[in-house]
Amino acid sequence: MKIRIEKASCVGNARCAAVSEELFPLNDDGYIAVDAVDVPPGMEQIARRGARACPERIIFVVEEE
Amino acid sequence: MTTAALSPAVPKPAHVADAVVYDFDMFQDPAYVADPHRRVLDMVKHAPPVFWTPRNGGHWMLVSHEANFVASRDVEAFSNGFATPAELSAIQLRMPPGTPHIPFPLPINIDPPDHGKYRLPLQRVFSPKTINELKDSIRVLAGELIDKVAAQGHCEFMAAVAEPLPVVVFLKMLGLPVSRMEEYRALVAEHMSDPTPDPMDSIKKLWKITALLRDDVLLRKDNPQDDIISMLWKAEIDGKPTTLDDMENYMVLLFLAGLDTVMNGIGHGIRHFATDLALQDELRKSPEQVGDASEEMLRRYTFTVPPRFVKKDMEFMGLQMKRGERAMLFLPAADLDPKVFPNPDTYDLKRENKTHIAFNAGPHRCLGSHLARVELQIVYEEMLARLPRFRLDPAKPPTFHCGHVVGVSTLNLVWQA
Repeated sequence: MKIRIEKASCVGNARCAAVSEELFPLNDDGYIAVDAVDVPPGMEQIARRGARACPERIIFVVEEE
Repeated sequence: MTTAALSPAVPKPAHVADAVVYDFDMFQDPAYVADPHRRVLDMVKHAPPVFWTPRNGGHWMLVSHEANFVASRDVEAFSNGFATPAELSAIQLRMPPGTPHIPFPLPINIDPPDHGKYRLPLQRVFSPKTINELKDSIRVLAGELIDKVAAQGHCEFMAAVAEPLPVVVFLKMLGLPVSRMEEYRALVAEHMSDPTPDPMDSIKKLWKITALLRDDVLLRKDNPQDDIISMLWKAEIDGKPTTLDDMENYMVLLFLAGLDTVMNGIGHGIRHFATDLALQDELRKSPEQVGDASEEMLRRYTFTVPPRFVKKDMEFMGLQMKRGERAMLFLPAADLDPKVFPNPDTYDLKRENKTHIAFNAGPHRCLGSHLARVELQIVYEEMLARLPRFRLDPAKPPTFHCGHVVGVSTLNLVWQA
């Protein structure tokens, strides 16, 4: 599973990082530091929760075929 | 208690259809002031998703979640500037020589891309990382305030805890003397309580704030400390050193936003706890759920109503809007929209989607949201840990005030001491 993030639209809610700082690292200003994440096996559920927690709706889960 | 009169209704402009007119005074509507979120739920059911009210000079209210979400993020359609910097300079030039600088609350009143330049210096001091380092001292302060009233079995919660906690935290962060808290609070209350359409009235109120803060702000220029005022003096804005005018622009915003927002969120939350003893019991048993509880509280009792200005003649969600018209982001209604939150009136700790927009969406997302979240959660944790079941005092029901901040004025609690 992969995550795609529209990084330029991040406004620093940091709700994704509140779910998992490991999957959703922030920069020093508290904005998302990455625009894509490879989700390690076993963390799919947390990845989905992190994406759903974004009030801007800019985090997308890309399920692999 | 006084019931103020509704503001006079102004005539409806021709481009506004009868079907989208709904009479609502966002400052004085009696049912709203009596029990704000009950009235919001009523409007979510019965008012149009976007409506025009003839009160307070006539303005739009954005009710549905969709309308609020789209408008908050569309900075080309909805502006935060009641005037552009160029227009303000023109007003300043028309004033007699020697007139003080007109403060322009920044970065809240400016649109991207300039918005980012002014917001950047503040971002780091309000980041989750910096704010997390304040947790221990906030918890100590919360504990002290609650312990002071614990043995008496009752308190007026706003004065005892909700107001002093965030105000003391914020004054310390800014570098302003906590001993002058009463003076500062009086000025904020005056600023928020008296809406008049005359911009000169607002400017005069802002001047009072800058006058009260000027000595402390100037003091930090030459004697920097570990606080936000000192940090801003050292910052650069768009490559240029901060000026006293810049400082005043920042200070009016930080002062107003820092001293009158989160206390009301705390008030709404504790009021809910006082009426939901089962929730208190559950969280005392499993305090690790307080973070989730706090998020659902923010959704259920979203409490700010930020203003926007229509930037151009346009169609928005099927309605004609004209340049310069005011539109209020009615965020309390957005977070009670049943299309996004099924059974919105139910406080549901286990609700799967608690992704509210209490701190708004878009580039103007509340800069202080991380601090607010920490304060809310700590107050809830400490209240539940230090007091037994607390309830509303049946003899003194809570009172509220409404406007751009939907606030709790008094909240009398009782418990078994």
